[in-house]
Amino acid sequence: MKLIYSFLFAVILLQPCIEIRAQVQAKRPNIVIILADDMGYSDMGMFGSEIKTPAMDALASEGVRFTNFYTHASCSPTRSMLLSGQDTHINGLGAMDEWTAPNQMGKEGYEGNLSTSLVTLPQLLKDAGYHTYMVGKWHLGKAPDKIPAARGFERDFSLLDGMGSYWDMTNMTALNHTSVFTEDGKYLTKLPKNYYATETYTDKLISFIDEGKKDGKPFFAYVSHQAPHDPYHLPKDWRNRHVGEYDKGWDMVRQERLKRQKELGIIPENTQLAERMWYVPDYSILAPAARAVVGKKMELYAGLVENLDYHIGRLIDHLKEIGEYENTIFIVFGDNGAEGTDLGAMIGGTPGTLNYLYFASKWSNNHPNAWGEPNSYVGYGPGWAQVSMTPFSQYKGWMAEGGIRNALVVSGPISKLPKGSINNGTMFVADIMPTLLEVAGTKYPDNFNGKAQPKLAGKSWLPVLNGQAASPRTDKDYIAWEVFGNRAVRQGDWKIRWEIKPIGKSDWELFNIAQDPAERNDLAAQNPDKLKEMLILWDKYAKENNVILPDRTVFETLEDQLPPRVPVQEGYPPLINIRQFIPPADMMAEPKEIKKN
Amino acid sequence: MKNYIKFTSMRAGNFSIALFIVMLCVSISTMAQGDGPRFYWKTLAGMYAVPVIGSSMSGNANPLDPSHAVIAGSNFEASMATPGFARIIPLFKRSAMVSIIAPMGRISSDLTVGSVSSNQTARGFGDPMLQLSVNLIGPKAIMNIPDMLRYKPGFSLDIIGSLAIPIGEYDDESPINIGQNRWYGRIGMPIVWQIGSWVPGKRTTFEALPAVWFFGDNNDFVGKKMETKPMYQVEGHLTRDFMERMWGSLDFVWYSGGQATIDTVQGEALNNIGIGGTLGFQINDNMQLNLSYVSSINDSADEDLKMDSFRITFIYGWHKLIEGMHRLKGNE
Repeated sequence: MKLIYSFLFAVILLQPCIEIRAQVQAKRPNIVIILADDMGYSDMGMFGSEIKTPAMDALASEGVRFTNFYTHASCSPTRSMLLSGQDTHINGLGAMDEWTAPNQMGKEGYEGNLSTSLVTLPQLLKDAGYHTYMVGKWHLGKAPDKIPAARGFERDFSLLDGMGSYWDMTNMTALNHTSVFTEDGKYLTKLPKNYYATETYTDKLISFIDEGKKDGKPFFAYVSHQAPHDPYHLPKDWRNRHVGEYDKGWDMVRQERLKRQKELGIIPENTQLAERMWYVPDYSILAPAARAVVGKKMELYAGLVENLDYHIGRLIDHLKEIGEYENTIFIVFGDNGAEGTDLGAMIGGTPGTLNYLYFASKWSNNHPNAWGEPNSYVGYGPGWAQVSMTPFSQYKGWMAEGGIRNALVVSGPISKLPKGSINNGTMFVADIMPTLLEVAGTKYPDNFNGKAQPKLAGKSWLPVLNGQAASPRTDKDYIAWEVFGNRAVRQGDWKIRWEIKPIGKSDWELFNIAQDPAERNDLAAQNPDKLKEMLILWDKYAKENNVILPDRTVFETLEDQLPPRVPVQEGYPPLINIRQFIPPADMMAEPKEIKKN
Repeated sequence: MKNYIKFTSMRAGNFSIALFIVMLCVSISTMAQGDGPRFYWKTLAGMYAVPVIGSSMSGNANPLDPSHAVIAGSNFEASMATPGFARIIPLFKRSAMVSIIAPMGRISSDLTVGSVSSNQTARGFGDPMLQLSVNLIGPKAIMNIPDMLRYKPGFSLDIIGSLAIPIGEYDDESPINIGQNRWYGRIGMPIVWQIGSWVPGKRTTFEALPAVWFFGDNNDFVGKKMETKPMYQVEGHLTRDFMERMWGSLDFVWYSGGQATIDTVQGEALNNIGIGGTLGFQINDNMQLNLSYVSSINDSADEDLKMDSFRITFIYGWHKLIEGMHRLKGNE
């Protein structure tokens, strides 16, 4: 009897532990990161867009919107921070592979792909018992030791390049003419039948999830969509859903988005629109034909975002069907500012060059009625990019908010905040790794493959998502960036940035982002003490992260290409804006003819 | 500097204004060629066009008589030039075209009955023909350049009415004439059906024109009265771009009815098919050149219509806005 009592007592004592363990095992959520390539801050409906994005909006309605989320200013740097949790100058993306400067070549941290010395998020999640899946764009290295399968993904279907056709393996330059894909660690000789990037990525991921669910392990899915990066390739059914809607022009659409953002509470009521970039024409002076053609570019972009949203919706529906939706964390954002540079013109726009010939051969299906088809190349340019980045200034590649700030949606069991919440805390893409490691119940290691690992650059979001803090950062914490020689630091409400002329001043500028998110007022001259204080942070950052400023950059000749910078003020010059004077009707008269004898 | 603006925000240069001047042509339904392919595509309202159609026709019926009454044992040869004028207008917000053509040229016939042969020739101006076409189903009238840029025919259905005015040269002592000495006209419903995308270089259409011709009486046909019953016409075209500025078409035309009665002597009703092809080439923003050939195929019996025709069509089109843009471009 005594033995029985002892046994029962032990069972009673142990029961809470068993239950807790079981709960931990049972409750570990799936994780889905949806990364939209070049999608802008205001392109989701719940961030003020007129573009119809019901699936992403539903996630936002059920989760939290973050209005002060920072990525990097361009693609692979953001991805490298997402997957390594480290600053770009440490993780190998101190320079993009495509633009590594001569003085950065061969330097550690500037390899142009994700350093193999660092452990990755998928690797740690896999080690922690997660299935790890990736579909879509990788852009972090093509060699066998750098592909997704080598960096922690069990299953993958990946475009290794940074861009290319959505329909086939056509890539962008004469010397890099064929996109490279991998599937489950093997380089593909061809693409599956009926390939269309966004659809195929979604189908593949669904199949990975279904095939992996038998063992009951949670999964981590990195859904790195190519959309809506240019070229705007999209199925025929999605090309003509906004015909004529954008003829009203970028200024008008920006104003409409700003109004909606204020109504939604995304931005403060007193927010002004950033100045239109001075080389972007006032839409009101464009001829109807130009409006129609330029507007059509935005029509295509909107269709591409809607198609992306549709496939995100398919994934969500599937998770609901298999009973996994409620236990899945979604993290949705764009990887950098919207793309305002015409990459097609940059690569293939110079007659007489090899790439011009290549574009003539592979990318010249460019009648507007062909936009969206294979071999067409269209991007929407800086005017519409600023729309996507409403209310901010500039776009991808630059350090104004339009280059580095993006919309972030987090939903699922990770959040204890009220559904549909809006949070204004300062968040950073490097935060995602510590956040998800905490969710998975694992830790960042001190060593990986015998190599010491640097301290993570980000901060976990769980205190924010649990409602314990408004921001993962204190006023003392700061974030810093550098790519293409453009650089910035944000601490609290303040930000300094240095950008090459003529987009920047080739000098430091100071902004109060809380009061002036559109960065209209450079306060450097007014507030030299603050500038000095911030510059100390920059120096600290540059030293700690081995920042090597490039001696060549993609933007080095921009000043010679752009018109002289002038202020952009509505209605100026009056010469072309003054309307026809119409006299009062009762004062109108026929001319008095002169009678000649 | 200009290049940057052009490439970054306004890159639309590939959207040539050549779009504005499309296959505008003027109907010439003399001869078994029908109106021809790509005739009912729409263009910018306010557009003008002057076509000049050169034709060489041969057969056993007067090719200038739309009823194509067969005269067994005859051989007609006609060389015609047909200038015209057309204007695109909006009508109740639908695209419409008014046009007129004025055929001129010469026609000769050799007729052998038994051992008797005769040869006759007629020359001069034929009956001018007026035509109005109005779109019923399809894109609305193209009122501005954005509309033009967005034009895709999809499925378009028009209604057309044609009327020939009997003022052409006519010799009441000759059975062979350029003018017809009677009123005649037609009602038809042309269809354009876009197949696939509407991208220059890839455009494909199926086109059809069912029509009924009505003929007034010729009360002085070599001193006799000629009555002609209505004639039914269906023409079809499968057209396809070969390149942005070059296209081709397989053409089909079928005629039925049109039985002529001269006093009390009844002729044969038609039931004939012609097939052929067209090559079109857009020379520049203003000029278009089409080459066609069509020949009857079911023509082994004496009473069957035997006819073939070469046709070359040159069209010059213009719109004041486009011309202004050309002038500005020339001043750069």
